Amino acid sequence: MTRSAWAALAVLALVGAGATLLAGANPLAAFAALLRGALGGPQQIAETLVQTASLLFPALAVAFALRAGLFNIGADGQAVVGGLAAGLIGAAWPGAGALSAALAGGTLAGAVWGALAGALRARFGGSEVIATLMLNILAGLLATYLLSGPLRAPGADGPETATLPASAWLPLLAQDTRLSFALPLAVLLALALQFVLARTVYGFELRAAGKAPEVARRAGIDLGAVAFSALSFSGAIAGLGGATIVTGVLHRFNPALSPGYGFIGIAVALVGGLEPLRIIVAAFGFAILQSGSLTMQAFAHVPRDVIALLEGLAIVALAARRAFVARAPVPP
Amino acid sequence: MNDAFAGAASFAALTLVKTAPILFAALGGVLCERSGVVNIALEGQLAAGAFAAVVVAGATGNPLLGLVAGVVAGALLGFVLGFAATRFAADHIVAGMGLNIFALGACAFGIVVAFRRPGASDEVAALGNAGEAALIAVALCAALGMHAFLYLTPWGLRLRACGENPAAVRDAGLDPARLRTIACTLGGGLTGLGGVFLALAELDLYSDGMTAGRGFIALAAVIFGGWTPLGAAAASLVFGALSALQFGLQRSGIPSEAMQALPYLAALAALAGLTGRARAPQADGVPEERRFD
Repeated sequence: MTRSAWAALAVLALVGAGATLLAGANPLAAFAALLRGALGGPQQIAETLVQTASLLFPALAVAFALRAGLFNIGADGQAVVGGLAAGLIGAAWPGAGALSAALAGGTLAGAVWGALAGALRARFGGSEVIATLMLNILAGLLATYLLSGPLRAPGADGPETATLPASAWLPLLAQDTRLSFALPLAVLLALALQFVLARTVYGFELRAAGKAPEVARRAGIDLGAVAFSALSFSGAIAGLGGATIVTGVLHRFNPALSPGYGFIGIAVALVGGLEPLRIIVAAFGFAILQSGSLTMQAFAHVPRDVIALLEGLAIVALAARRAFVARAPVPP
Repeated sequence: MNDAFAGAASFAALTLVKTAPILFAALGGVLCERSGVVNIALEGQLAAGAFAAVVVAGATGNPLLGLVAGVVAGALLGFVLGFAATRFAADHIVAGMGLNIFALGACAFGIVVAFRRPGASDEVAALGNAGEAALIAVALCAALGMHAFLYLTPWGLRLRACGENPAAVRDAGLDPARLRTIACTLGGGLTGLGGVFLALAELDLYSDGMTAGRGFIALAAVIFGGWTPLGAAAASLVFGALSALQFGLQRSGIPSEAMQALPYLAALAALAGLTGRARAPQADGVPEERRFD
């Protein structure tokens, strides 16, 4: 880690300690409770790994698009439509293959949601940032409308699907936990993306379009096609993530299935340097914060929102990292 | 006849109430984006303005001090965005996203610290109906004033030049980084005032999630309004009217989600160029390159 990264971490630790004191708690006790809640036993570790998977999908989605120079800040919305498709398919699918159908449907739905932003960008040059942001909100509204209106599940109190039959559940990795095969799936996906980015022609075109669009265009790379496909794939990854939350964790669809994972995923992707394998490590780090925060709130009486506060500051610092790098070699 | 008139009047009044916070935030966004900084942190600035206003109004019993605090809180977040974007060449999108997460987290945290319970503040001394009317007037005047400022004054020209061609501004002997930071700070203050309206004029408390995506609706208004103050004001009025209509249409069978979706669909249509030739400022979102001279 660079010196500025250590400095940023020190500042974050100070802010965190200050906030904890403000809440009338002991910072060290709060930190200990956080770690105990995230890593204190097999059950806690399993829950942290569940969070790791939930963060890994959107982080990979963000990173894949960003390698092509495109900002997908709509991973939450793509996860919602992906989860919605998975929930509807999984609940209605007759007989064998329900799980595969649910995951495939979720992936496809996410891809469509990403492709909408991709088409807007490729065809009209519209900002994919704004498009994915707007599509986030539209995804939630669409899900709420469908599940409280035309596709309302019998007996449901809120906009939820019925509970999925066990044939549509992702198998558990460890009994008596919520840890399912979503995690190995996410890790495999990271490996696959690493391969695509580093070793395939498409990956090269993608990175070229992201690094030096003008050069890429002159070399005959169709920037519009890259933008469309990268945002579609990105959406597919996030959509698959939403589908794994539905089939692996909740076992039904709920519009709040991705509470800001897409936004935290941006931080995860940046901390991981947009490298899929390093992003796995970063996702685990952020998952510790997510899963330990409830224990911290319950036992150290520090509101868990302090984690969001710190994550937000970290993201601002990450945004400024380019300057930390560029400032060092000032020519005389 | 009288009933119809009263209905229309109350609809108009409700429209203005729903418009004001969106309009404040949209104007803050226009100022920021015209100077060349993309501001997706409007939601966080609204929340910060509302939160600070309620905390200070609650502590002092004086809603006017709360108003000032709300403006200052929004301006501070705007300053951080502008400063990070210009002095650290930070990516505007990432910084804006981070500020949103920070602000919403800090407000939720602060509510627990200040009021000893999560979710919502106590009811505090608010601005009342007169204050509400005054702030609506301020919002509408601010749209006109910003139009006059941007298009009729030399400083308005310089600010717009920062968003189109910062190199030219530098050649003219001005510091675009500084102008952008000032624009972001002032824009943040305006957006904070939108938060004050939500917390102390429309209501008299802060609760988590009370901004309810208005910052993103305001962003949609900025885009649908073609990055101009009057365009954004018109879009805010339309979105405010849609929001007011929802109360009347609850029994009509039109799903409320469809109404809520319209601002975002309008923004997407504007992005696709379906609403004319409006475009973002040329250098909008381009980080200020550091100079090594």
